[in-house]
Amino acid sequence: MSPLYKVSSVWARLEIVASAGFAGAITLLILLNVVTRAFDQSIYWIDEAAIYAMAWMTFLAASSGIHYGHSVAVSLLVDFVPAKTARLIEMGADACVFVFAVAMLFCCWRWYRPDALIAAGFELTAFQENTLNFIYAEPTTLGINKAWIWLVMWVFSIGVLLHSTANLFLSLASDRAPESEQ
Amino acid sequence: MTPLAFFLLLFGNVPIAIVLALSAVVYIAESGNTVLFDSFAQQMFSGLENYGLLAIPLFMLTGELMNEGGITERLIRAARVFVGGFRGGLAWINIVANMLMAAIIGSAVSQIAVMSRAMVPAMAEEGYDRGFAAATTAAGGLLAPVIPPSMLFIIYGVLAQVPIGSMFLAGIVPGILLFLGFAVVITVIGLISPLPRSDRMSVRESISALSGCLPAALIPAVIISAILFGIATPTESAAVASVIAFLLGSIVYRNLKVSDIGRIFLRTAQNSALVIFMIATANVFGWVIIYEAIPQKLAALITSITADPFVFLLIVNGVLLFVGMLIDGIAAIILVTPILLPIATGFFGISPFQFGVVVSINLILGLLTPPVGVGLYVASAMSEVKPAQIFGALWPFLLASLVVLLILIRFPVFSTVLI
Repeated sequence: MSPLYKVSSVWARLEIVASAGFAGAITLLILLNVVTRAFDQSIYWIDEAAIYAMAWMTFLAASSGIHYGHSVAVSLLVDFVPAKTARLIEMGADACVFVFAVAMLFCCWRWYRPDALIAAGFELTAFQENTLNFIYAEPTTLGINKAWIWLVMWVFSIGVLLHSTANLFLSLASDRAPESEQ
Repeated sequence: MTPLAFFLLLFGNVPIAIVLALSAVVYIAESGNTVLFDSFAQQMFSGLENYGLLAIPLFMLTGELMNEGGITERLIRAARVFVGGFRGGLAWINIVANMLMAAIIGSAVSQIAVMSRAMVPAMAEEGYDRGFAAATTAAGGLLAPVIPPSMLFIIYGVLAQVPIGSMFLAGIVPGILLFLGFAVVITVIGLISPLPRSDRMSVRESISALSGCLPAALIPAVIISAILFGIATPTESAAVASVIAFLLGSIVYRNLKVSDIGRIFLRTAQNSALVIFMIATANVFGWVIIYEAIPQKLAALITSITADPFVFLLIVNGVLLFVGMLIDGIAAIILVTPILLPIATGFFGISPFQFGVVVSINLILGLLTPPVGVGLYVASAMSEVKPAQIFGALWPFLLASLVVLLILIRFPVFSTVLI
């Protein structure tokens, strides 16, 4: 197993464990909501926190799913063509996931504009005037800026890039490791 | 270019969620509207900012807890009380137990996996043909996405912006019709070639089976009554149901250990992310649908053919039966709802609830039909019967489902009567 694939395995494990934690958090938050609502003491930020926990759970687990090969795909063609062609199609699919990861990183960059933020000396007003980008001004009911919550898109994109690169190298070396590490 | 990229990626074994996102990327690049890249990731994230979606991990958690908690065997024993003791008894038990399981599990594939392991060996031992046993179990799994709680209805409710609780209610009568359809199939098969007889339970055994199952019946009772009486949202009722499932599994049935919880949450996160991630990427794919005015163009085409809602639904169902054979049901509903629902409600005045029920039943039939019949392959793997052998015994059940589908298309009242 290549060192890159090992890093991908460890990262995928961390992602899925964290996403299980978020699944637990969703359950606790909604239960808290039920209890506080029953006593007419609803806490206003719970719904939003639960939704964000779900988003983090989803994107982390989706990224680890690229490593574990846990996804829904139309495998019709692969099932009916000769093994060699099937391998080529699978390699093509891995390459597409890699392209998706690069596109996601590009989009995250254009969204957060870290270059413009640095150029503005981390002065938010200057950044907003220069770019007309208000990402760092979006509030949440949790008392933190939403840019922190949206960071999951970076974590997701980097995770998908790591797993898809590892998968691609593995397919090229036709040395796919067993996917039963969980 | 975008349609070509979409179909190439779709049939190129690329995960469907990524097909949707990459198609949107191709569309944006092609249209030159590159400013959309600035909000691409945000649009994906905002696809998840919906309270109703929280019900998906919570219902999956409940299903996992009930599976681990040993509920399946208790439901089968309870079903035996009602329909055991005569010819074809186990086939009936299979369908009744599937009906009970459907009120707990919202996913057909999970239900087929669980029930195939439990029912097929038992039926084969009693002298049933293994293909028929696997087919009956697989068909019973079709009840899961129709009888509440249904994962498909939650997703449809979020996409169609209709209350998920009402969608659940809309599925009750169609679910019962589907159950009756399967019952008729078993009766007819039993008349043509007599099915094996199963033993009748003694009064003592019956009481023990029913009392063993009674606490588990709390789960669907809590879910359905909380929604029906407006006490809780589907999301909240799912959270409460998961607590009851945990308490039953650990304290009453003693099959569940606290050390199992980590593994259960891990599976919950993994399986629900599979579905929710598709909804996130469908949100960016929605740009393609909106900017290209696909519903309007399709509506213009269809309305030039017919103005009759019944004929429209027949056309849609013909197409979707084919789509369901190729694409997984959940992915298909994410794809087709934003395109077809505006036409159904806006141009033909069809109730969104009837449309949701009809489309969901239609697409789940694809679970049991080759070449992409996941349910068929799961039933085959779990029962060790070849897919072709199962399919050979399955067609009467599929025919019954189609008849029910036609009834639901023709008579909207069956879907809307409880709302």
